[in-house]
Amino acid sequence: MQKRQRQTLTIATTAFQVLARTQAKALGQPELPVAIIPHPLGPLSLKELHDIVDRQLDAMVKLVCEGNIK
Amino acid sequence: MNQNAAKKTETSRQLIEVDNDIEAVNHLYRERRWGDGLPVIPPTRERVERMLGGTTRPADEVVAHVQPGFGAATVRLIAVNAVMAGCNPGCMPVLIAAIEAVTDPLFNLQGIQATTNAATAFLIVNGPIAAKLDMNSGLNCLGQGNWANATIGRALHLIMQNVGRALPGEMDRATQGQPGKFTFCCPENEADSPWTPLHVDRGFKPEQSAVTVVGASGTLNLLCHEKDAADLLRVLADSIRYPASNDYWCGGAPWVIIGPEHAEIFAAAGMDKETVRLGLWEQSKMKASRRSMRDLARTRDARTAELGEIGPDTLLPISPTPQDLGIIVAGGPGTHSVYIPTFGNTRSVTRQIKT
Repeated sequence: MQKRQRQTLTIATTAFQVLARTQAKALGQPELPVAIIPHPLGPLSLKELHDIVDRQLDAMVKLVCEGNIK
Repeated sequence: MNQNAAKKTETSRQLIEVDNDIEAVNHLYRERRWGDGLPVIPPTRERVERMLGGTTRPADEVVAHVQPGFGAATVRLIAVNAVMAGCNPGCMPVLIAAIEAVTDPLFNLQGIQATTNAATAFLIVNGPIAAKLDMNSGLNCLGQGNWANATIGRALHLIMQNVGRALPGEMDRATQGQPGKFTFCCPENEADSPWTPLHVDRGFKPEQSAVTVVGASGTLNLLCHEKDAADLLRVLADSIRYPASNDYWCGGAPWVIIGPEHAEIFAAAGMDKETVRLGLWEQSKMKASRRSMRDLARTRDARTAELGEIGPDTLLPISPTPQDLGIIVAGGPGTHSVYIPTFGNTRSVTRQIKT
C-alpha cells in the first residue's frame, strides 16, 4: 500500500515490534509508520480490541500523518 | 572459497574474504547468524557448483520469495544452503519443490515464521525419489540417523531462516520453538501402508514424486496396544483432543502419522483411510468448555461463522472438515502412531518433485 503511495499504518504489539520494523525494512519501507500497542492481543475479546481501537484512534491517525510515535 | 588460503564466499549481495578453514568459516557464520547453531559445511564455489548439478533449473532463477523477509530464493541460494546442511546434489529437486510449497499462501509461511507458536515446516516425501535418495520411512523415521531425511529438513529450515530472514528472537518470535526447527522430514512408508499414498490421494501418479509441507507445532507419541480397530480409533481420537490447541481454536489441519501396525489393524477390519479419517474427526470433537474462558472467547471469534453459536457444550471439531485432517503411514514395527498438531491457521501444500 505504501509503495502505491497510499498512506499506511501497521499496528503491532510490543512482542512483534522487531518483526514489524525489520519486515518494513526488508520490504524497502523503513519509514513505514508502526503503532506499537501492549502485548498480548491473543487473550482479548473482540470488544476489548474495539475498546483499544476507540482509545487509540486519534493517536493512530496522528501517526499516519506524522510518522512513528509510540 | 576454494583450496587456497583466503577465498571468497558469495551471497546474493556480497563477496566476503575468509580463510579456507572450517573453523574460520563457522566462526564467520556464527557472527553473521547464517546458521542454525550446528556446524555447517562451508559452501565453496566448487561445492555449490556440484550441488547445482542436482537440478536443471538455472542458477539465477528465483524459485520464490520467502516470508517474512521476502528474500529471493534463487536456485543458487538454495544450493548454498543445501551445501551448508550437508545435502547431496540429488536433494535439490526436493528442496526446490519444498520452497515452492512453503511459499504457497495456503501454507501461511508469514504466520508460521513469525508466530510465538512453535510451528515450523514438516516435510513429507512421497514417490520413487525417497528410495532413490535412500530416505528412511521406517524405524525412527522422524529421528536421527538417515542422511537424506536429516539434511533435506535441515536445508529447508536454513533457507527459511537465511533467505526468509526469520532469525530467532528477531522476526522469528517463537516463545520456545521446537527441535523440529532444526530438521523435520520423512517419507511416507508406502511399502508398508495398506492404503494409497498421500501424493496419489492428491492427484499425482504413483510413479511421480511429491513433497508435502505441514505447519507442524511438534509431535506427540500415541501408544496403544489395542487390536480392536474401533477401540484403537477411539483411543487415538481421544488422544489428539486437548484444550490448549491451536487447531481447536481456529479450525486447523492437523496430521496423524499412523504406524504400520496400527494401519494394518484398521485395514484388517475393513477400514480404508477415509473411514479412519472420518472416525478420528468425529470422535475427537471436544466440548468447548474444556478451553479456558479467554480461549473459548477467541474460539467464538474465530469459528462462529463456521459453526454457528458456540456455547460451553458445543462440540468443536478439530478441523472444519474431515478432509482437513491429514493421514500418512510411516514408521516401523511397534504399537505407536504420532500426532502432529499444527499452527491452526495453515493448510498443507503438496508440490511435484521434478527431477
